[in-house]
Amino acid sequence: MQDTKISRSLSQNLQYLRLSFGASGDFYAKELTICGVPCAIVMFTGLSSPEKLCHLALDLLDHDLFFPDGSEGLCDYLLTQSRAPSEPRPVSDWETFIEMISNGMSLLLIDGCSRAVVFSTQEMPQRSVGTPTGEGNMRGSQEAFTELLRNNLSLLRRQFRSGTLVAEIATAKTRAKTEYCLCYDRLLAPKETIDALRKQLAEIELPVLLDSAYFASFLKQDKLNLFPAAAYTERPATACARLCEGKAVVLVSGCPYALIVPSFFAEHFECLDDYASGAVFSGLIRLLKYTAFFLAVFGPGFYVMAVSFTPEIIPIQLLTTLAQAERATPLPPMLEMLGVTLLLEIVREAGLRAPQSISHTVSLVGALILGETAVSAGIVSIPILTMAAAATVATLAVPSLYEQTILFRFAVILLTGCFGVLGLACSALVILAMACGSEPFGYDYLYPLMPLTRITWRDGFVRSIWSRLARQGEVIGRHEA
Amino acid sequence: MKRDCPSLLAVLTVSLLVNIFLRSQSAYWPRAGAATALVCVPLLAGVGYCFSAAWRCGASSLARIGFAILLLGTSALELLQFWQMFQRLYPGAASLTVVCLTVLLPVLYLRRVSALSQTAHVVLCLLLLGTGFLLLTVLPLLHFTNLQPVVLQEKDYAAAANAQLTLYPEYLLPALWPPRGREPRWTRLRLSAIALWSDVGLHLVLELFYGAALPQRTDPIHAVARSGALSIFNRLESAQLILWIMALTLKLALYLYAMSLLLLHRPQSETSVQLRHFPLYFGGLWFLCLLLRKIDITRAMQLRNTATWLFALWIGMGGAAAWLCRKIRRGC
Repeated sequence: MQDTKISRSLSQNLQYLRLSFGASGDFYAKELTICGVPCAIVMFTGLSSPEKLCHLALDLLDHDLFFPDGSEGLCDYLLTQSRAPSEPRPVSDWETFIEMISNGMSLLLIDGCSRAVVFSTQEMPQRSVGTPTGEGNMRGSQEAFTELLRNNLSLLRRQFRSGTLVAEIATAKTRAKTEYCLCYDRLLAPKETIDALRKQLAEIELPVLLDSAYFASFLKQDKLNLFPAAAYTERPATACARLCEGKAVVLVSGCPYALIVPSFFAEHFECLDDYASGAVFSGLIRLLKYTAFFLAVFGPGFYVMAVSFTPEIIPIQLLTTLAQAERATPLPPMLEMLGVTLLLEIVREAGLRAPQSISHTVSLVGALILGETAVSAGIVSIPILTMAAAATVATLAVPSLYEQTILFRFAVILLTGCFGVLGLACSALVILAMACGSEPFGYDYLYPLMPLTRITWRDGFVRSIWSRLARQGEVIGRHEA
Repeated sequence: MKRDCPSLLAVLTVSLLVNIFLRSQSAYWPRAGAATALVCVPLLAGVGYCFSAAWRCGASSLARIGFAILLLGTSALELLQFWQMFQRLYPGAASLTVVCLTVLLPVLYLRRVSALSQTAHVVLCLLLLGTGFLLLTVLPLLHFTNLQPVVLQEKDYAAAANAQLTLYPEYLLPALWPPRGREPRWTRLRLSAIALWSDVGLHLVLELFYGAALPQRTDPIHAVARSGALSIFNRLESAQLILWIMALTLKLALYLYAMSLLLLHRPQSETSVQLRHFPLYFGGLWFLCLLLRKIDITRAMQLRNTATWLFALWIGMGGAAAWLCRKIRRGC
């Protein structure tokens, strides 16, 4: 039975299947006779429903008045003439057979026929469409992607009701044969970008694909660059908005987050609410988010530099307070800041990973008791704690750049703590060069912020009013066309 | 938004502005500088054009190696000049190794031409904002009465011309890159005009600030920045210094890209410097800086200027000879 083709003998086929799946408790195989021809129906009970199969197919067959001749005749009859809802194409090799049965299909093996008929009787346990948990928005659609690829595709298509939406489903080169779907608008998305993306995705080999983020590392041009090559969303509405900009969306089976490519720096500071609120307010919020990002990355490092190397930049009234606070603690400002930032990260990680029932306690203990006692014991000064807490809160204003913000913050603290002004200049330029050097599929990562053009002020640092935005929606491929 | 042909004009401009911001001594009176700039701008641009034309006639391997050595030497001198300035301003704050490390580390992320070009645009914007901010903070300290009413002598014009006719490698570098699609016109003329008129403008600010004491001040621009105050913040020179360090790093990254173009004749060298060359670059430059640390930087800079002029002359003569030979052959 080493042959990859399905045999004509039903007993041989069943023997092969029992050898492969016989030990599995959810494997279901039932021999039956249809129109006098010995057949067998096989499925996985957790993925397919025998009841559904009975209602859909077998009942119908019982009521059919026409009796086809022989095995091949039965197969052709089921595929082309019968009202039983079979898939249009039969399966003739074991690889496709296993793929189909794993997808929740029921397959009918017919004695004397080397083809199996496929019935769509999927009934998988699934999570219902819920609200987004990691992307808070007050306005707009509150639907979130789920783990099922087809459901996600339907959610997307419901938002993007255009004939130009293309959804290419492919199987990744993984042991688990995970499916992914490349979605784009064929009129708006630049062809060379889609071709390059399709090629790169097809070439990726992974032992396992559990999240769309696994692809992101492969799409990066410069592996030393910490800025992400792709963005993620759990909102079909956001994915739809990106499709309208000519970008591609990659959905992975089993993952409720869609991958968006190419992704730009400015996108991390945008959200759906920006476009639902007034232009002035959303512009202000965007500027606040940029400020928060700079505070989160450079705030603690700048404090360390100012206190340790360049006290002359601190206003004299504040300098006295800071000097008194620093004199009372044994550690140098750099180590203090590093310690507090590390502690805050540990508290955050513990709160995130701990069971939900005790996660609030962990946060409370960490934030209140540790902070309070550390200050009382004279280990940490209050200004350090204030700055570290402000930076941590500011990080959460731009959650999609969380990893980068934390890494940059540590680097800035270390460099400024060791080298002062030189360290700050070095770290600032490294971060800037990373942002400028990132080229997702040949596009400027800082677009539309840099170079400064009219678009920068239309939908970049701030956003313009809707009547102006609507006049010329931004599409990435437009300038190339 | 697509990066097909990144322009290097911004990085060349930033690179030239570094020479203005990090100067240790003011060179001339602005009136004399403004007069000589009228001649020096087209002259420097003309030298750049002639060099490009001669270089494209076919530069020999020796010329390529010579240019690379000139760039390497200039990189080391720039680092040493900055280190000496830092030592003067913040004695004992940073060793030469620390300066080398912090200035050269970002070059690793500037190895792609597109990154270099885009970063230079941002740094140029920041430099302009920073200079505007600097002027704003010292505005109350600028006095028109400080302008010197004395009649300028011939030596004043000579000093200004001498300072302005420094042939920085930036004027010669455009000859190296492959022709790019959207390269702006009159690159060298723009470059020399921006560099010299910015220098004259900054000298005017310095004269308004220092008056007759202008020639005596060491690190004059930093001293001006140090005097700037805004609201409760009395000293803001660190912010300016951070920008100047960023600009210096860009200059070194540009030189590295040029060196890789000169020494490695591979298609990939046109878009980025290979990562495997960085240990050699860092180590080599650090070692060179250690070797030259006791050198008189002013004399070394003058020597570099002479060497650049001689090199440009050599290439120009070689190009002219090659052009003549071609004409004669066609005539035959």
